[in-house]
Amino acid sequence: MALLLAVALGAQPQPTTIPEMWSAWCARCHAQDGSGKIAEPTVTVEPMDFTDCRLTSAEPDADWERAIAKGGPGVGLSPEMPAFEDSLTPEQISGFVRHMRGFCTDRGWPSGNTNFPRPILTEKAFPENEFLVLPAISHDRNDVEIKALYERRVGKRSMFEIGVPVANDGVDELEAAVKHALVSNDRSIVSLGFETVLSSSLAIFEPFASAGTMLRDWYVQGQIKVELPTDRARADRAFVYNAYLGRDTSAAPTTWTIGVEINGENGELAFTPQVRKGLTGTGALAASLGVTIPINKREQRGVRWVGYWLWEYLEPWRARK
Amino acid sequence: MGRILALGILGALASAQVALAQSGSITGTITTAVTGQAPVRVTIDQKVCGSELPDEAIVVDARGRLANAVVTVAGLKRAGGRESMVMNEKCRFAPRVQVARPNGSVRTSSKDPVLHTTQAQYEDGRTIFNVGLPVPGITITKAVGRAATVRLHCNTHPWMRGWLVVTDEAAAVSGADGRFTIDNVPPGTYQLRIWHEALKSASQTITVVAGQHTDVKFELR
Repeated sequence: MALLLAVALGAQPQPTTIPEMWSAWCARCHAQDGSGKIAEPTVTVEPMDFTDCRLTSAEPDADWERAIAKGGPGVGLSPEMPAFEDSLTPEQISGFVRHMRGFCTDRGWPSGNTNFPRPILTEKAFPENEFLVLPAISHDRNDVEIKALYERRVGKRSMFEIGVPVANDGVDELEAAVKHALVSNDRSIVSLGFETVLSSSLAIFEPFASAGTMLRDWYVQGQIKVELPTDRARADRAFVYNAYLGRDTSAAPTTWTIGVEINGENGELAFTPQVRKGLTGTGALAASLGVTIPINKREQRGVRWVGYWLWEYLEPWRARK
Repeated sequence: MGRILALGILGALASAQVALAQSGSITGTITTAVTGQAPVRVTIDQKVCGSELPDEAIVVDARGRLANAVVTVAGLKRAGGRESMVMNEKCRFAPRVQVARPNGSVRTSSKDPVLHTTQAQYEDGRTIFNVGLPVPGITITKAVGRAATVRLHCNTHPWMRGWLVVTDEAAAVSGADGRFTIDNVPPGTYQLRIWHEALKSASQTITVVAGQHTDVKFELR
């Protein structure tokens, strides 16, 4: 009826499906094919290229939905992207995110919905392009460790990382690891990895598995790892297990995320309550702080302050081909 | 009871009349020798916008009378105020220039069946809000912050411009005949400030006398 009325009045019929709406509205700046390449652009900032799977796969739906609802500033991007929360329904906004993700036609990239916030001690399953500094301070033992970690994605599902001690009381360790997302769907991910810790007198091989999923609004992540030293006279074999439960306090990239980890090594158990905060509008800088408190064998182990400072140096929002 | 109410109303009217008699008004005409610009050629949404639109940066009639200039009485505070309305209509903002009050709100809507956005920016380029209006008939209300000159812009039709002059001082916008009126001005000496989006600002000192119109003339360059 509305269509008939529009035609009768000589007006342009309004788009009714998401692809029609994309063509009529979004394609103005983002191009019909999602590439952001327009012959005569009406905005000054070139929109990101949605055909680049690194962009369309790496962040969760909620971030994209927020970008549409709140506009660019809602996710730390250009104010030339307007807010549509007062003019589109939540269903339409979700529809646009599904449509936008469809511009990546190359299958096999793990879903950004499984790109959960990094716990402090539990290895996350999603591959990342990040640089981290991880301090650990034991007050009662006057012991300070600071480790720098460089992570780089390789291909669609893999990642390598290199870790070096920045301050570690003369310990000369080098860590190198690879990780591969073995199985993933829209809510869950399982990765396998292999880490090697090298020092002048010893090598420790550490195969591990990491997994993560969402339970309602809660992030659930876990990791198991076996530490196999080449010289058992210098180091013991160990079975390490970490689990994390946490949630965001808002949908903004600058959200506080609260969580707690259970950390085990053989028979030793500890827990690590922690908070994480996105420090920039896009969330590319973030910091986390927690405290590891022994549950058993307290006389042998003290309380340790732990945390990280994180820089997502190839932030997908900003990445360009 | 009815008599008391009638007396009350009469009393209020009488005191308002006294207040008016004790104040004056400022009227005036703004002119310029600068002529308007050539029309804007439209390459987007021609079915809705047409093939060309008048450049409304300088709207001046055959006698040089200038519209869309804002006259402000420096130091004369005006409390509260109405909610401003910015309509996207035929690919232009209507009205193009209006006065808004600090910490008030502005409503924006569209009558056009094409995607418009209303982006409000301070003069330094910082965005106050930017809302998408993909279909006609949606009205969105946004807060207007501090006193400032706010530029309105549409991200899909780059020629579209609008202005909100946000001020807590008495102010008026000149009409198509270049005329403006500011009522209820207590007697005294004031500085009038004139702002126009494309012409050089000007000011003039005037004296308002109780019960009289003070008529001024401005020529902007």
